Amino acid sequence: MWRVTLKGLLAHKLRLALTALAIVLGITFIAGTFVLTDTLHNTFTSLFGNVYQNVDLQVRGVAQLGSSGGSATRNALPQSLVASVRAVPGVAAAEGSVQGLNVQYVSPQGKAISTGGAPNIGVSFDPDQRVSALRLAQGGPPTTPHDVVMDLGTAQKYGFKVGQTVRILLPFAPPADFTITGLARFGTANNLAGATLAAFDLPTAQAILNRVGTVDSIDVVTSPGADKARVQRAIARILPPGVEVVTGQTVANEQTSAINSALAFFNTALLVFAFIALFVGGFTILNTFSIIVGQRTRELALLRIVGASRRQVFRSVLGEAAVVGLLSSLIGLGLGVLAAMGLEALLGAFGVTLPSGPLVFEGRTVVVCLIVGVGVTVVSAISPARRAVRIAPVAAIAEQQTEADIPLRRRFTWGAGITLVGIVALAYGLTKPLIELVGLGAVLIFIGVARLAPAVARPMSSVIGRPMAGMLGMSGRLGRENSMRSPRRTAQTASALMVGLALVSAIAVFGASLSGSAVSSINDALNADLIVTPVSNVSGAVPNAVVPVAAAAPGVTASSSIYTGKFELKGELNTLTATSTKDLSKTVNLAMAEGTSGSLAAGQLLIDTTTASAKNLHVGNVVPVTFAETGRSTMRIGGVFKANALIGRYLVSDGFYRAHYASTELPVAVLLRTDGSPTAEAAVTHALSGYPNLKVQTKAQFEQSQRAQVNQLLGLVYALLALAVIIALIGIVNTLMLSVFERTHEIGLLRAVGMRRRQVRAMIRSESVILAVFGAVIGIVVGTGLGIALSSSLRSQGITDIVVPVSSLVVFLVLAAVLGLIAASWPARRAARLDVLAAIASE
Amino acid sequence: MTLAEPAPAGQRSDAPAARAVELRKTYGSGAATVHALAGITVTFDRARFTAVMGPSGSGKSTLMHCMAGLDRPTSGQAYVGSLDIAGLDDSDLTQLRRDRIGFVFQSFNLVPTLSAGENITLPADLAGRKVDRDWFDYLVTQLRIGDRLSHRPTELSGGQQQRCACARALINRPDLVFADEPTGNLDSNSSSEVLEFMRRSVTEFGQSIVMVTHDPRGAAFADRVVFLADGDIVDELAAPTADSILEHMRTLG
Repeated sequence: MWRVTLKGLLAHKLRLALTALAIVLGITFIAGTFVLTDTLHNTFTSLFGNVYQNVDLQVRGVAQLGSSGGSATRNALPQSLVASVRAVPGVAAAEGSVQGLNVQYVSPQGKAISTGGAPNIGVSFDPDQRVSALRLAQGGPPTTPHDVVMDLGTAQKYGFKVGQTVRILLPFAPPADFTITGLARFGTANNLAGATLAAFDLPTAQAILNRVGTVDSIDVVTSPGADKARVQRAIARILPPGVEVVTGQTVANEQTSAINSALAFFNTALLVFAFIALFVGGFTILNTFSIIVGQRTRELALLRIVGASRRQVFRSVLGEAAVVGLLSSLIGLGLGVLAAMGLEALLGAFGVTLPSGPLVFEGRTVVVCLIVGVGVTVVSAISPARRAVRIAPVAAIAEQQTEADIPLRRRFTWGAGITLVGIVALAYGLTKPLIELVGLGAVLIFIGVARLAPAVARPMSSVIGRPMAGMLGMSGRLGRENSMRSPRRTAQTASALMVGLALVSAIAVFGASLSGSAVSSINDALNADLIVTPVSNVSGAVPNAVVPVAAAAPGVTASSSIYTGKFELKGELNTLTATSTKDLSKTVNLAMAEGTSGSLAAGQLLIDTTTASAKNLHVGNVVPVTFAETGRSTMRIGGVFKANALIGRYLVSDGFYRAHYASTELPVAVLLRTDGSPTAEAAVTHALSGYPNLKVQTKAQFEQSQRAQVNQLLGLVYALLALAVIIALIGIVNTLMLSVFERTHEIGLLRAVGMRRRQVRAMIRSESVILAVFGAVIGIVVGTGLGIALSSSLRSQGITDIVVPVSSLVVFLVLAAVLGLIAASWPARRAARLDVLAAIASE
Repeated sequence: MTLAEPAPAGQRSDAPAARAVELRKTYGSGAATVHALAGITVTFDRARFTAVMGPSGSGKSTLMHCMAGLDRPTSGQAYVGSLDIAGLDDSDLTQLRRDRIGFVFQSFNLVPTLSAGENITLPADLAGRKVDRDWFDYLVTQLRIGDRLSHRPTELSGGQQQRCACARALINRPDLVFADEPTGNLDSNSSSEVLEFMRRSVTEFGQSIVMVTHDPRGAAFADRVVFLADGDIVDELAAPTADSILEHMRTLG
C-alpha cells in the first residue's frame, strides 16, 4: 500500500507541487520568524553580557511603581554616595553615571538625527573603561563642557569625524555645539539597535539632563581577590533607604530580559501572521485533496476491489499528505533562513532597525516547523481521506462517477452551528478581553462560514458571473457555468481567499475606526490652533527651552504645555496627563460632567467618565496615589470630564506635575492658540527653526499625521497579511489547473467546434474572477463584521467612532478580481494550449 | 487571409467538398516508423454521403482528423473546398472548424453545463454570429428535439444527445460534416434515426458528409463506401447495401 501512495504522489507531481507551495510559504514564515528572533535574542544577550562584563556591582535606586527589570522607574542617588561607596573596603573603583533621553544630534544637513523611532540617549562618559558601557574606538574621552563622544554607528552613517563640531538638541537648554573628541561603541555594537548615543563628561551630562548633584547609578569594580558577595553586603550596609546594590550580572540579565520580552511580543506577532497563512493554506490543501480524491475515485475503488481495506485507503491518502507536508516543511525551513533576512529588510523599510549578528538556527525551529507543516497538511487531508473511504468498490466499474457529497441540509446545520459558536466565543473573548478566545472565535467563524459557503456558491456565482457573460459572450457564459458546476469546490477555493480578505477588511475597518476616533478626539479636545510635537513620536519630548520661545512668537495668544508620567492610583499603574492651567480653556476643551476644571489649579485630580464609572469614583472622593519621586500621598477628585483618548484618563495641573516629576519634566506637546492671523504659523515655525526635532502643525495637519501613523501601521499589517492572500491565490491556481485537467476532453471539444484560444483563456479567466470575487465578497462581509466587533469592544480604550471604509473595501474587491485574473493566467494558457486531437482522443 | 462565409447550399463552386492528395502521416522514426496514412489520395464529393470503413488501425480516424484540421499531416495536401488547410495556423484552423466544418462524435460530446439549445447554437455563439432562427427551428423540428431544448445533456437520452450533436454540426451550414462512429454508442432505434437524418440532409439540402464507421448497416446509408487498410484506400463501393458491404469486407479479409 505504501508503494501505491508513493506512486500516487509521483503521478500527481504538479498538483501536489502547488499544494506544497502553500505549506512551504507558511513554514518559511515560521522558520524565518524563529531564526530572526533567535538571532536578535542572541545578539542582545551577548551585547549586554559584554557591556556589563567588568561591572561587578551596581548601586541604584529601588524600582518604583510596581514595575521592575530593565525599564523600571528608579530615583536618582545623591552624588555624595559615590565617595561613600568608593571608601568601602574591597571596592577598587566606583563611578557614578547619568543617562537620559532627547539628546539629539543634528545632521550636517540640518535635520534631527533619529533612526526609525529609536531613542536618542545622552549619558555621562565614564573615563574608567572597565566600568563604562562605551568603548572608545577612536579619539579620546570628553574633558570640557563642549566635548562629546559620539556612537560609531551615527558617525559612520552621517560621516562625522573626530575633531568636527556637531550641533546637539538638548532637553533642558537651547541647542548647542560640541566638539567630537572620540567615537565609541556600545559594548561590541556600533550602536544600540539604532539608538543614538551622546556621551559627555559627568558634570556636563548632569547639567544637560537636569541631574545636577545626582547620579542614576554607581558602577563598582571590586579589588582583585575580593569576595564580591562580601563587598556587596558591605556596600548595602552604608546605603540609605530606597537604594540597592546588585551584581553586574543581574543588571545584564534585566536588560536582556527587557529586550527579550519585547522580542517575544514581536515573535508572537509574526507567528500569528504565519499561522494565518498556514490556516489559509489548510483550505487550499483540503480543496486539493478533495479534488484529487474525486478524480481518483475509480482508482481508489479499484484498490478496494483488489482487496485494500478502508483503513488502507485512508492511510494512503493521509500518507500522501504527510509526505507532501514533510517535504514542504523541509523546503520551508531552508527558505526560512532567507526569509529571516527578508523580514529584517521589510521591518527596516517600515522604520524598525535591528542590530545585525550571525543567524541563529535552533533545533526548536526545526521541530516546530516539521510538526506544524506535517500537522496542518495531514489534518487538512482528513476530510478528503474520509470521503475516499466512503467510495464503494463498485465505483470502479460503474458508468457514472458521482462525487459523494454531504447533504446540503446537514452541511448547513453544521456550518451554522460552528459559526454561531465562533461568534459567541469571539463576543465573550472581546468583552473579557481574552485574546486567545477572540482568535479561536475568528477561526471557528471562518470554518463555519466556509462550510456554509457551498449553499450560496451557486446563486452567488450566477450573480457575479452575469456581467461577465454579458461582456464576454459565450466564454464568459461558460466560465460562469463552470464556476456553478461544483458549488463545494467553488466554495472551498473561495474560502481561502475569504479568510485572507476577511482579515484585511477587519483590519481596514479597525484602522479607519482608529483614525476616525483619533480625529474626533482631536476635534473634541483641542481648542488650540497650532500643536508643537517632537518629530520622533516614540520617545521624543519638547525641550523645555522651547516653551517660552513658542509662546512669545508674534500672533500667539495662549499656550499650554502637556506632560505625561506614570503613577499609581489605588495601587494600580496608570498614566497621568498634566496641562498648564493658565490658558487651559483657550487650548484644551474639557467637557466637564461633574465638578469644575478650576479644581486643577488647586492640585486636585480630574478623571474621565469611563474611569469614574468603572471605579465608581465621584467628585470629592479622596484616592491614594503613589509617585516615583515623592512616594505615597492622597488626592481629591475635583472633577469628571467626558472621556477623550487624546487627553487620557487622569489629569493634573503642570504645577502639580513639576512638584512630583522633578527630574523628567519635559512636555510631550505644546499647544498654542493664535489670534487667527495667517502669519502666526510661519512666525512660530520661524521661532523654532533652531529645533529640527520639533514640528509645528495646524490642527488639520495634526489630524492628518495621526491618520498617517495609523496608515503606516496598517501598511505593515497588510504586508504581513499579503502572504495569506498569496496562498489563497495559489489555491485558485491549483483548483483551476485541476479543473482544466478534468475538463481536458470538454475543452478539446469546444476547440474542435470552433472555440478560439483567446476564448478558452477568457473562459478560464472568467471562472477565476468569479471564484475570487465570490471569496472576496464573503470575506469582506465577514471581515467588516469582525472589524466592527473588534472596534466596538475597544470603546473604553478610546475607539469611539466606528467607521466602515467603503472605498477601501471596494478597492479590495476590485483587487481580488484583478488577482483572480492573474491567478488564471497559467491555467488559462495551459487550457488554450491543449492539443485538440489529444483532448478529444482521451476518451 | 479570409475564410469565405459559407455559401448557401447548392450555389457553391465546383470544387469537391474535400480532397486529400498524397496525404501521409507517420509516427516515430527509423525501424519503429508507423505509417498511419501512407500517401492517400481521396476526394469527397459535394452533396454526397461518404462512409469510410476499415479495420482498427487502418487510418480512418487519422484521415478524418487531418482533413478536419484537427491534426497535421506529415506531408501531402488536404483541401476543404479549394482551400489547402496544411498552411493554416491554429487561429485559422479554429475558424475553419467553426465556420466550415461540423463534427458528430461517438460520445456525443455535448458541453455539460449548457442546455441542449445552447449546445446547438454553440458554434454560432462562439463566432459571435446571429443564429438563423428559421434554420435552427427547421433542424430542431427535423430532429424531434424541440421539447428538449432547455434540458441539460445529462437529462437527455443518448439518442437525443446525438441528435443535438447533429443539429450543432449543421447550425453553421458547414461545407462538410465529419461524423466519427456517430452510432457507436446508440441502440439500433436511435442509430436509425440519426442515420436517416444524415441521409436526408444530404438528399434534401445537399449537405456533404463523411462518416467513419465499423457498422455495415450504417455505411449502407451512404452514397459511397471507401475501404481503408494500412493507411491507404484498398477498395470502394458505390450505392452500397449492407449485404454488398459485408461481401466486400469478407473479400478484403
